[in-house]
Amino acid sequence: MIKNPLHPSWKQHCFRAIVRAGTLAACLTMSAPVCMADVLSDQLSALRTIQPGDEKGLQQAASIAKQLSSSKELSLVQVLSAMKGASPIGKNWLVGLANGLHRKSPATQTAELEKFLADKTQDGEARYTVFRWLTDGNEERKTQWLEEMLFDPSLEIRFDAVARALASSEEIDQARLTTLLDAARHPEQVAAIIARLGKAGVEVDQAKHLGFLTRWDFIGPFDNIGSKNFDKVYPVETDWTKNQLAESYEGKTGKVTWAEGTSESPEGALDLAKIFNKEKGCIVYGKTTVNVPSDVDCEIRVGCINAQKVWVNGELVIANEVYHTGMQIDQYAVPVRLKAGENRILIKVCQNEQKEAWAQLFTFQARLCDSTGKAILLDP
Amino acid sequence: MKHPLVRWIRPSMLCVIGASLSSTFCTLSRAEDWTQFRGPRAIGVALNASLPEKFDGQSGQNIGWKASIPGRSVGGVIVVGDQVITTSSDGMDQRRIRLLSYDSATGKQNWEQQWVARGRPYCHPTSANAAPTPASDGKRVFAFFSSNDLAAVDLEGNLVWYRSLASDFPKAGNDVGMSSSPVVVGGVVIVQVECQGDSFAIGLNAEDGTTVWKLDRPRKANWSSPTMVQLPNGKPAVILQSSEDLTAISPTDGKAFWRVPIACSTTSSAVSEDGRLIVPSGGLTALDLSSSGAPSELWKENKLNPNACSPVVVGDKVYVVNRTVLVCGDVFTGKVLWQLRLPDANQIWSSPVVAGNRLFLFSMEGACFVVALEGEQGAIVETNKLGDEVLGSPAISGNAMYVRGATSLWKITSQ
Repeated sequence: MIKNPLHPSWKQHCFRAIVRAGTLAACLTMSAPVCMADVLSDQLSALRTIQPGDEKGLQQAASIAKQLSSSKELSLVQVLSAMKGASPIGKNWLVGLANGLHRKSPATQTAELEKFLADKTQDGEARYTVFRWLTDGNEERKTQWLEEMLFDPSLEIRFDAVARALASSEEIDQARLTTLLDAARHPEQVAAIIARLGKAGVEVDQAKHLGFLTRWDFIGPFDNIGSKNFDKVYPVETDWTKNQLAESYEGKTGKVTWAEGTSESPEGALDLAKIFNKEKGCIVYGKTTVNVPSDVDCEIRVGCINAQKVWVNGELVIANEVYHTGMQIDQYAVPVRLKAGENRILIKVCQNEQKEAWAQLFTFQARLCDSTGKAILLDP
Repeated sequence: MKHPLVRWIRPSMLCVIGASLSSTFCTLSRAEDWTQFRGPRAIGVALNASLPEKFDGQSGQNIGWKASIPGRSVGGVIVVGDQVITTSSDGMDQRRIRLLSYDSATGKQNWEQQWVARGRPYCHPTSANAAPTPASDGKRVFAFFSSNDLAAVDLEGNLVWYRSLASDFPKAGNDVGMSSSPVVVGGVVIVQVECQGDSFAIGLNAEDGTTVWKLDRPRKANWSSPTMVQLPNGKPAVILQSSEDLTAISPTDGKAFWRVPIACSTTSSAVSEDGRLIVPSGGLTALDLSSSGAPSELWKENKLNPNACSPVVVGDKVYVVNRTVLVCGDVFTGKVLWQLRLPDANQIWSSPVVAGNRLFLFSMEGACFVVALEGEQGAIVETNKLGDEVLGSPAISGNAMYVRGATSLWKITSQ
């Protein structure tokens, strides 16, 4: 078949070829290395900025990843460095690209990678990736390096460092445990260290150390028969937003009043089933306040086996209409800004009517911490 | 003498059916590839394979190789060409998600990819973020994780594309852990994400990961995997099951061919063989796929309850694992033919596979029951100990079985 030279796709093809040739000529005649560097920089930029739902960006990213996977001009450290400040999705494109390049990279790059790992201003996920490459199959090096990385800004490196220290067969003295507690951020590691300190006769308030909010005032139960009232705005919500809470409200079976509830759990769990006599098909509200000495950016992190909503200073920050599919410390984490002085927190916890033994839990835990998981400083 | 298991399907017919389905579903995969959960046709059967009945993880008897794998996985493995491919998750909260390829002959690692989970990585302690079995179209490998991260790499491990479905749909997730495995049909990667939050099935372009179609699904937890069938008109269809219904959709546009309002299992997955669709629903329900339109019910038998494992159909028999009992039924009537208690099996999550006339079934503790299927009554011919926790379904390629233990990858073969 003879192609029609006037066919639009043919013309388009010609146009593109001319543009490409022009670009290439410009690169060759002017400053080829700079030009190529610009192209690579643009391509990496497209990967590092990709956002959720960006279908066009995704298509472009796939095309770029294909080109860069076989690029001879692109260095591994360039890709790793681009992870700094990249979007979470962009970082995974870059780390995926980096893994492919690393496989093909010469052993002479080790020194460069070690330098990259030592640069604590680089992205934590990128550095941890490099750490894994450099210590893979070399347990001695891993142990030696981790010993010096207990306070690394990369949470993943720090997690491994604490884990390695705790796994040591040697007895860990109290001073060392205190250092590890200072370094640890993951709640499970914190709990393990506090348990060991307890055996050594040192009591640490785990809930306080992790920043759990243990003192609440609760009111309920309100109706949630048929799990229909997750989005129903009971007067408690509107009154709390206006900071004009009443002492009592009309509940599921009559008048209900506020009552204090305190967690004795090291994980800050509030047992609403116990407080509200195993009531099912109901909603309970809890309110608390925290005082901070100055404005602070932090995270509120909630674990809850029931459907829940959380408001901070009038703003809805968490909403999950999910019942009985697991509960974890830090299950739902969102950044919030607390203001100097008093800050008000409200939680709405919804219980359904499932009858299985595992579906009787009615509980939550909430803590305030910085982005690393360290409790923020509260005024007493 | 003809093998009794193939009484109803002659080998030549099997070849025709196999070739036909293979050409429909897996255009680029090789005959011995095991390209997804339960193999290329999602039936868990390799009739021509010959596997050792006896093996032992500790002594190494009939163990081709064992590769220690960092992290944990409860998903199955796949085999593409000479690569055995598995996923893993480790690090803080199992946020590091990995895809690893090993040489099928030596067990040496070919390549590894690694990402960071962008969705919630939490799961029940028995499970793992690396729970779904990866899938391949013979050119690429698609790795899906409980955290709803989905990535495609080429067969050299180079990144082709990456999607964070939890970023696109932030309420998608189940903190008991999700485990539905992807399928690839006609250039479209299909995953089923069903939970109490954002629930959907989505078809993504295998080339670049862009969305081809998306369907809203019931907002209820579902761990079953999509499976494939061929409709009487020759068109491929993907079967999605839920606690509300069973739907056959077109892989190319997600449009429903038919919907049957039956409550299906949300753990074990359907299997299609010889014009029938055997669905975990009310025990098992057999549907007739031989005529156009919504399939009619052939039989239903509540004593054939597949529980967590997916059923296997071989010839005129269907096998299910009801907790720790292997139950055999007549595939034409649903009548229970025999039951076999699996001694000392505590929990079984791994779906059984069949090679030749032997069924291989792993308990969670790593005991592999080898069951002879040729007699009037099934018989355990061996109980082998692997010495590793097994929750994923094995893969069979050639005369070897590949098993993903929680922390190791095993090749079992007598050759």
